[in-house]
This record gives sequence, structure tokens and C-alpha cells, in this order.
Amino acid sequence: MTPPNEPPVHIQNFRMDFDGTTVVSVLSFDVERGETFGFLGSNGSGKTTTLRALLGIYAPTSGILHIDGRPFTPETGPRLGYLPEERGLYKKESVIDVMTYFGQLKGLQRRDAVAWSVRYLERVGLGDKVKTKVEKLSGGQQQKVQLGVTIMNDPELLILDEPTKGFDPVNRRLLMDIIGEHKAQGATVLMVTHQMEEVERLCDRVILLKDGEAEAYGTIPAVQNHYGGTMIRLVYSGQVPSSPFYEISTLSRNYAELTLADGVDEALVLRDLVGAGILVRSFTTSKLSLEEIFVKVYGAETEKAGV
Amino acid sequence: MAQFNLQTVIGFEVKRTLGRKRFWITTLAVPIALAVVFALVALSNTPAADNTAAAESDAGFSFTYSDASGYIAPETAALFGGTAVTDDAAAIDAVRNGKAEAHFVYAADPTMTATAVYGADLGLFENSGYQTVARQLLVASSQAEIGDPMLAALAEGNVPVNATTFLDGQESTGFGGIIPPMIFLVLFFLTFLLLANQMLTVTQEEKENRVTEMILTTVNPNALIGGKIIALFAVGLVQMLCFALPLLIGYLFFRTSLNLPEFDLASLTFDPAKMIIGALLALGSFSLFTGTLVAIGAVMPTAKDAGGLMGGLTILMIVPLYGISLILSDPNGFISQIFTYFPYFSPITAMFRNAVGSLSGWEAAIVIVELFVLSAIVLRLAVRLFRYGSIQYTSKVSLKTVLAASK
Repeated sequence: MTPPNEPPVHIQNFRMDFDGTTVVSVLSFDVERGETFGFLGSNGSGKTTTLRALLGIYAPTSGILHIDGRPFTPETGPRLGYLPEERGLYKKESVIDVMTYFGQLKGLQRRDAVAWSVRYLERVGLGDKVKTKVEKLSGGQQQKVQLGVTIMNDPELLILDEPTKGFDPVNRRLLMDIIGEHKAQGATVLMVTHQMEEVERLCDRVILLKDGEAEAYGTIPAVQNHYGGTMIRLVYSGQVPSSPFYEISTLSRNYAELTLADGVDEALVLRDLVGAGILVRSFTTSKLSLEEIFVKVYGAETEKAGV
Repeated sequence: MAQFNLQTVIGFEVKRTLGRKRFWITTLAVPIALAVVFALVALSNTPAADNTAAAESDAGFSFTYSDASGYIAPETAALFGGTAVTDDAAAIDAVRNGKAEAHFVYAADPTMTATAVYGADLGLFENSGYQTVARQLLVASSQAEIGDPMLAALAEGNVPVNATTFLDGQESTGFGGIIPPMIFLVLFFLTFLLLANQMLTVTQEEKENRVTEMILTTVNPNALIGGKIIALFAVGLVQMLCFALPLLIGYLFFRTSLNLPEFDLASLTFDPAKMIIGALLALGSFSLFTGTLVAIGAVMPTAKDAGGLMGGLTILMIVPLYGISLILSDPNGFISQIFTYFPYFSPITAMFRNAVGSLSGWEAAIVIVELFVLSAIVLRLAVRLFRYGSIQYTSKVSLKTVLAASK
């Protein structure tokens, strides 16, 4: 039972060191009941480490990591669906045996676990693979089985670490539909992903982790505002001058994207461009997308890392 | 839930192991090999037995013989189908040319000089009949010379002797008292040989298949490892039954043809104290070695990496066998005491000393407590190593990290 003032996921002052190296220095955030929360960050920023510590797989160096008001254990925790980044199943067993086993471990009766698994496999197009050994399935098919194992106990809390990794666009859509269904049923979803369009479509709030600390945290509009927020897409003739009011993000023949500096009015920029002799054919403003924000936040370190 | 999950883990592990063809191929290979060996033994014994029986009335073939010793009675030889000759060379030629079936040459002193037997080749098994008949004729003739069947049996030294000895005023039990508690040592040793490799790899599949994270967030590691060990034990029992079945069938139904010795179970003495101590020592030893192997498996990334450490553990276990005479002759000596109390030497030493009666009650108590306490510590460490270490799929687990995680 969640304490009255504590949300389903509560992380406070979490720190994680491995052999003297700090992976997460200080991290605090909450995931509210029923929301879909995006946990974002570049590779190696500590996302998976945080999830593992939250689920008791790693012992934290310090800090509080609670699920439903206490450290997670399989016996006392809520109905959990966890899809780890490192995927794997018992390979020598049949699909139905593996799914039934996990279903029973998650508290289902054997008969119910079998029935649920058969229905799920039919839905995801694996109805003819019920008795096939897992090792005989393709990578994408194994992913579907793994997703089934994750959601088969009708989880209250879904923790998904890069859920669409390895999925083709069709199966990615299927996965997103399934996550959407659980969200509609009131499940809380904590999701690590690098697919920013998924985040914009599904997530209520996000946190951006950088160098083991929260770089930004809040609703998507709040994060967009935090990073200056506004971009101008310009179709023109002439030469775009440099200006302290904006930064030229993209520049090609007759098209430019300008990221506005904080507090600068779009009308002022338009007036300056016209004053500089630019023939403006189209002038539209929009918020920075999460992908653009991601590149802005992590671009430098990704380039440094040579990725 | 934990109890429920324990049963689920046991059921899954047992079912999938027993459902594998490879398991049955390797398991049934042993009894099939035993059955083949038994069949060969029975086949090779049958002609000899038949020939022995036949020899008493009729050898089934005719033969000539020469007797320099004078011990062969012509009338007995005639009963066996033998005819005395004096020209060995001619008789051997007759056998070589197929004109005679066999010829025996008894030397002047048959106890010192081997009796030479010549015969037509009847095949590997049938050929042994010549030696049997030649030997039986000599024995039968000697017995006839003695005249008294009992005297003849005594001359053969075929007499039972029962010994009764006393220790501290009590009748000691001898081998009949040693064998029952020794069964625990044999059981422990067999179980270790059969299951050691599987104990070592009990958590390898989770690591190698990357199932660890899924499983650790679904089931308590204690229930997982406990369930796996119990399942392993159940599978080991099935294997033992498979191995024992041909021995049991052979003993019960084909004991004579297999020349198996008859066990007189009435001569066994079951001392309750020794049996209880033996059982506790075996259980504690099994727990300690199981926990240690599971811990090694949890630390190492692959079964191959873990193999070297398992070899070291096996050596630790069998080292006391090399000092067994010292343990028997001087149970309170320095070496014996080290072998008794160092936990990884204890199993064989303590169970052996318990069987022969040189392990006192307080010594047994110390060793049993030591084994169980250390087992609990090692098993706990094994679970912790699996919990916090098995996520390191490709590298060896750092003990420092795992122990730090337990603070």
C-alpha cells in the first residue's frame, strides 16, 4: 500500500558508484499513479542502472528508491511488468512452457497462464508457435514473447527499458498499442527510450538524465520551454545574417531553421530579417521537438564520444 | 507466494530436465552399458558352468591323458570320458590332425607344473571347457583318494569361521557394523559425482540466456536457488534409480549366472547413533558442497570458467582418502584432527571415522554444527552472489562489490 503522500515510484537523492566510479551522482524524481513517464538520456547516462537499483537488482550506494512506498521485492511489490534492456528467455523450452512458468511465478494459476498466453500469441501473430522452442523463433518473435511475459499479470506498474529496441515499424506500432491499452486501464508506465516521437505521443512527463544528474524534469511543454522552446522555420530569398536574437540551426538554399534566444519576440526577428533585405516567403514558429532538445543537450557529448 | 514459487520452480526445473532427450540418452547409457556387460559375463559364465556340471558326469567330449603324477584315478577319468595314453607326442598330433578331441598332460607335480591341455578349437568361450574338465578330473581323483567328503572339503579350506571381538566390554560389530554407516559416505560421494557439474551450472542458464533480470524481479532468489537445488536432487534420485535398477535386477534374478556374491543382510548391525550421525554428516556435507558450487557458478561468467574451481573443490574433498591409513591408525593425531575439522576435508574423514567407530560424540557434534553453519553462510553468499553478481553477464563478479552491496 502506497503511503498517502508517496507516489508509486519515488526516487530521492539516489547515488550509485561502481568501483569508485560515480554513475549516478544525485537523482530525485517521482512517477505519479496512472501517468506515463519518459526516462531519457544518452547511452551510459545511468538510466538502466537507476531502473536496476529501483528493482533491487543493484544495491544503491545511497538514497531512497521506493515502489509503492518501500524498496521493491518480488513478494511485496505491486503487480510489476518489467521489460529489461538485456532481453532473454529460456531458449530450450517451448514458448508456452516459458510463458506459463513466468505466469505462475507472477501468481497466475497454471490454467489461466496457459489460456492468457494462447490468446496473446494469437493476437501478436504467433498462434502457430505455441509449442515451438524459443530458440527456433526469430529475434522479433522472441521480443513479442518477452513482451507477453512482461504484461501477462495485468501489471499495475510497467517498467520498460527501450521497449522498441529490435522491433520493426509494424511491431513497434503493435507494442505502442499494447502500452497504450495498459495506460488506458490505469497502469503507471515508466519508460526508457530513444524514440522521441514515442515520448511525445505517449508520455505525460519526462526526465532527462545527463552525467548522472537530472538535466530537465517535468511535462513535455515545460521541458520545451526550459530549452528556449521556440524555433522559426524560414523560407526566403537572400542571405540570413547572424544575430544575437537567434542561432541558425539549419541552413540550406532558401530554407533555414532558427532557434530563438530566451525571451526574444518572434515579431522582432521577422522585422530584422525584412530590414536586412531578406525576401521572406514563409515564416512559421514552433516549439523545439524533444528530438531537437535531445540533440541540443547530448549532441556535444555524443560527438566527443565519437558516437 | 514464496512457497508457491518454490513449488513452481521445482516443477519447471524437473519437468524440463526430464523432458530432454539428451538427459535420457546420457542417463540410460549407464544401465544399458551395465546390462551389456552383465550379458557378456553371463554368456561367458554359462559354458563354464555347464561344463563344470557336465564334467561331474560326462565331459561332453572324449579325451586322452598322460599322468606322470599318479594322482589320476583311471575309473574317475573314464567317467569324464578320458582314456590314458603314454605317448604324448602322438596324442597331441592326433588332436592337431582332428583325429582326437583333446589331450591332457598331467605333470609329476601338478601343484608346481601346470597341466598342459591340447584341444580342437571350439571358440573363445567353449575352449575354457578343456581346462575345467582337466582341473575337475584332478580334484575328483584327489577327493576319491582321500575317501571322506568332509575331509576333502576341509583340505580345500572351504570352511566358515565366525569371529566375535570385544571393545570396552561390549561385543564389537566388525564389518557388519561398519557397512551401514558407510553407506552415507558412498551416497554422498555418488551424489557429488553425479550432480557436481549440474550444481555448478545451476544458475548459468539464467546468465547465459540473459534471463536474470526478468527472473530476479519475478521471484525471490532464495526460492529460485532453493527450488533449483531441490529439483536437482530429485533429478539425481531418478538417475540413481536408473543406474541401480540393472544392478538390482541382476542381483535378484541373475545372481548365479553373474557370479555375484551373496550378501547376508542379517550380519549387518545398525547402530542408531552412528546412523543418525552419518545421516547428519552426509546432509551437512551435501549442503556445504552444493552451496559452494552454486556460489562458484554465480561468480563465473561461463561453465568453462567455473570448471577449474570445481576441480579444486573435488581435490579438497578426496584428499583425506590419501591419509586414510593414518586416520585409521591414529584418529587423534594432528593430521587426523585437521582432516576431521577443516570443513572441506570433513565429509570423508568424519563419515569414515564414524563408520569405524573412532569419532566420538562431541567430535561428531562439532563437525555437524560446523558443516551446517558454514553451509548456511555459503548458501547465503551464493544467493547474494547470484542476486547482485549474475547481472554481470560476461565478466567475473567482484566479491568486494557484492559484499559492499550487502551492507
